[in-house]
Amino acid sequence: MELSWSTFLLELFNFLILVWILKHFLYRPVREVIARRQQAINERLADAKTAQKKAEEIQQQYTSRLEEWRREQQKARDIMEQELQAERQHKMKALHEHLEAERQRVESLQRQQQQEEQKKLQRRALEQGSSFAARILTLAAGDEVEQRLGEILQRALADIPKDQAEKIRTQLAGADTEPEIASAYPLDEQQRAAISDALSGVLQRPVTGHFVEDPELLAGYRITLGAWELAANLRDELRGFAHVAGEPAGADGER
Amino acid sequence: MEDGGLFPQVLFQLGPVTITSTVLTTWAIMIVLGVAAWLVSHRLRELPGQIQAAAEGIVVTIEDAIRAVAPQHVSLLLPFIGTLWIFLVVANLSGLLPGIHSPTRDLSATAALAILVFLSVHWFGIRSQGLRSYLRHYLTPSPILLPFHIISEITRTVALAVRLFGNIMSLEVAALLVLLVAGFLAPIPILMLHIIEALVQAYIFGMLALIYVAGGLQSQQLREQRHEERDE
Repeated sequence: MELSWSTFLLELFNFLILVWILKHFLYRPVREVIARRQQAINERLADAKTAQKKAEEIQQQYTSRLEEWRREQQKARDIMEQELQAERQHKMKALHEHLEAERQRVESLQRQQQQEEQKKLQRRALEQGSSFAARILTLAAGDEVEQRLGEILQRALADIPKDQAEKIRTQLAGADTEPEIASAYPLDEQQRAAISDALSGVLQRPVTGHFVEDPELLAGYRITLGAWELAANLRDELRGFAHVAGEPAGADGER
Repeated sequence: MEDGGLFPQVLFQLGPVTITSTVLTTWAIMIVLGVAAWLVSHRLRELPGQIQAAAEGIVVTIEDAIRAVAPQHVSLLLPFIGTLWIFLVVANLSGLLPGIHSPTRDLSATAALAILVFLSVHWFGIRSQGLRSYLRHYLTPSPILLPFHIISEITRTVALAVRLFGNIMSLEVAALLVLLVAGFLAPIPILMLHIIEALVQAYIFGMLALIYVAGGLQSQQLREQRHEERDE
């Protein structure tokens, strides 16, 4: 266990040489390659950070653009909804107007149909009334009715308004035509005189009259003087019913 | 081989220089490490293989250990401290090979390494601070402590050499005694202990060397720090 100075010095130099060897062949190359790799890693990290930053900027741009698109979409949707609402209101208004016009047309049509129906009913009622009245008056025709109608005729002649009487007189001025007085039954002298007197009062001149019998009248009188005709008989009254009812006159008279 | 090769043997003489088995083993280790380093350095790639990854791992681990103690002097200390660790690990483990004895079981070799550590402490200290500034730290905090500083320098250097020598020598002696007493396969557990002890002793020697060198490098910083604390 002696200390060998020779070994001591050789070991000392050996270690220094080994330090030099390892420094030049191990530490330096390995540290350089580690440094290069670290530099490459740093560059890649920097590139990655740059790429990440760019990606974030692009993402931000896309996000803002997407947001803008959404706003525009919402705006367009609002406008479209407003237009749809306006169009709907316009259509609804047009539909209401159309429905109102249709309703009015239907109501008019219904009213017209009701009027037609009412007219039909009224005509039918008049026809039935006319038929009934014609049957009643036909059965009721007789002397008493004839006399009563004569009184009515005389009173009607007496009650003719002065202007109408004047008009009749004006129309018959210059014509000495005697009035034709038709009756359903033969008249006695007294009856004829009463009618003549009444006519004389209207025409303001003496009237004798041309009396004829006309059984078609059923009962009553018909005075014809030129174009003027005064009827007070059942046949003309029934004809009036028939005219109102739309039936030709005389149909019931035949019965 | 009367002592079973336990002590270094003189192989031959080159004039006044005596070549012992320790020196020869050291040369062999130097050649192996040099060739390995050369092979590794000539096959370095950006994408490392297994061998390159191992080499990078060794270098980075040593750097990290140095950075933990002297973070500002990693590049400066790496060759010396790294070589100490690598050489000591290989030298300590070389005793496991049949017919080869570890160089560190020779006090001359461990003393040479300890002297190198002693000299490197002052070399790095003077290099970084200057001679006067470095020598001044022996007088702080009081000149009275100068003898104690000098004794500390000597004793820790002797302790470095003797600790490593004693541990490795004792391991080999124990293995030899067990082999002589118990037979052929009995020393295997002792060999396992040899591996652990070789690694631990290499770590201790290198770490102590690192702490000593870092202490010499940072003594000026410690003084400045003390002055600042005093001023505050």
